[in-house]
Amino acid sequence: MTESTLVNLFLIIRVFLIGGLLLALPHIMRKGLMFGVYIGEGTAKGDSASQLLHSWRHGCVLVMVLALGVGLGISAAGWPVAGNLTGTAVLLCSALALYLRLYAKARKLIPPEAARQAQKTVVSLDVGRSRGQPFARATLAICLITSLLLILYAVASYRVMPDLVPALSGTGPMSEKVFIDTIYFPVLALVVSSLFSLLALFTAGAKRSLRDGTGSYSAEAQDAFQLFFTKLLCWIAILFCALLTLISVQIVRVGLSATNWIGHEIWWAPGILVIFMLIGLIRIMRKYGQGGSFREYGSAETPLTGALADNDHWVLGLFYFNRDDSSIMVESRFGVGYTLNYANSTAILFTVTYLVLTIGLAALGLVRVLS
Amino acid sequence: MVTLTIDRGLKDSVYEQVAGQVRQLVASGTLAPGTPLPSVRQLASDVGVNLNTIARAYRLLEAEGFLAIKDRAGVFVAAPAVRAKTTVKKELQNQLSVTIARLRQAGVSHDELLALVEREVSVISDQPPEASK
Repeated sequence: MTESTLVNLFLIIRVFLIGGLLLALPHIMRKGLMFGVYIGEGTAKGDSASQLLHSWRHGCVLVMVLALGVGLGISAAGWPVAGNLTGTAVLLCSALALYLRLYAKARKLIPPEAARQAQKTVVSLDVGRSRGQPFARATLAICLITSLLLILYAVASYRVMPDLVPALSGTGPMSEKVFIDTIYFPVLALVVSSLFSLLALFTAGAKRSLRDGTGSYSAEAQDAFQLFFTKLLCWIAILFCALLTLISVQIVRVGLSATNWIGHEIWWAPGILVIFMLIGLIRIMRKYGQGGSFREYGSAETPLTGALADNDHWVLGLFYFNRDDSSIMVESRFGVGYTLNYANSTAILFTVTYLVLTIGLAALGLVRVLS
Repeated sequence: MVTLTIDRGLKDSVYEQVAGQVRQLVASGTLAPGTPLPSVRQLASDVGVNLNTIARAYRLLEAEGFLAIKDRAGVFVAAPAVRAKTTVKKELQNQLSVTIARLRQAGVSHDELLALVEREVSVISDQPPEASK
């Protein structure tokens, strides 16, 4: 198989995977919500809402065809990598444009009573519902301890490394030892695993938005989904930590001449991680639905309350911004999972910190590879 | 499952709504003595308000004898007192007199008042304090 065929195959798989997930979204939508807008449970059953779903399905197919056409066309002209990247960019940008178009249409369907529902918040007096919190705390502790020990091991090993070490990249067999190269993956392990652990911790304590009246099924459904999502994030954090620990240790061992090469088998680990994330996502789509909506049963006909019913504090139906809400995290109104309340100081600090760290590490990695 | 509905569209503040609904749930027997309630942090997070708002409601309910707050164990529904203290009884009787007078002044008839009191009493759990201990 040539390199160009392989690159094209990756593009086709990516388009079908992302496109397939987008096509499946209407099947898991929580009743009353549509493209990030609360249109009410009654309106969601009407013809206008059905038309929006119809437009989404047609639009998704068009987006996939467009992305494949552009990507494979550029590839056929002799630039397979550029075709792969352009095809993916076309897919994401046109999917976003489609979402925004339908979001604008869904806003026109908002019934007058939706504003009244947003002022209500139904809460449960049951204790011990945050069953995921101990697991998330333990995960955070494991990831922090492992990553910090890994950094100490890398720093200590760097001091005893010879000045010339086997090259991990480039053409020469030996290169000068560089502190950043030794410390890069341990720091990456710390940043990525703590990011997912903290997201798991925030998810475990995320605010619920129960349905008005018959809250029982609604609460149980949201609890079950919240627990599953928390555990999924915890396992992703643990897997990332394990994977990056493995790579870090091997890089240090290469530097210490304890081994010749980090080993090709190590690159299977990211594949396992991607498959694990995919299985988690498919399980959510089959078993839980958006926020556990498949388990709401009879209560799905009663109106939503709180953040999910609030049309005034969501920017484009994707970003929650409410100064009057002390919650750090709430359930997303589009897709699956949770989102931060960007008016909360902890959420802002978390976002800015990890954005800076991620961009900084990505830039540093790029600079090191190019040099 | 026992729920509270907080409505920001009402003129009552959030802490008054929390206190009022917990009071009703305890009085009706829906929340039995000894039942644990969510921590201040948990309930504040669920409602989406400041910790002080829920702490204020809990402190008020503790002062009124509806809740028992134990530092480490958490918050529990308190059992009704076996015998009312004379001062507490007098204070509440005064409040009742004021409420009845205001209802009468608002145009509620004598018979309607009696029916109202009867209805309110009927929703209160008739479980004797000793049994619920």
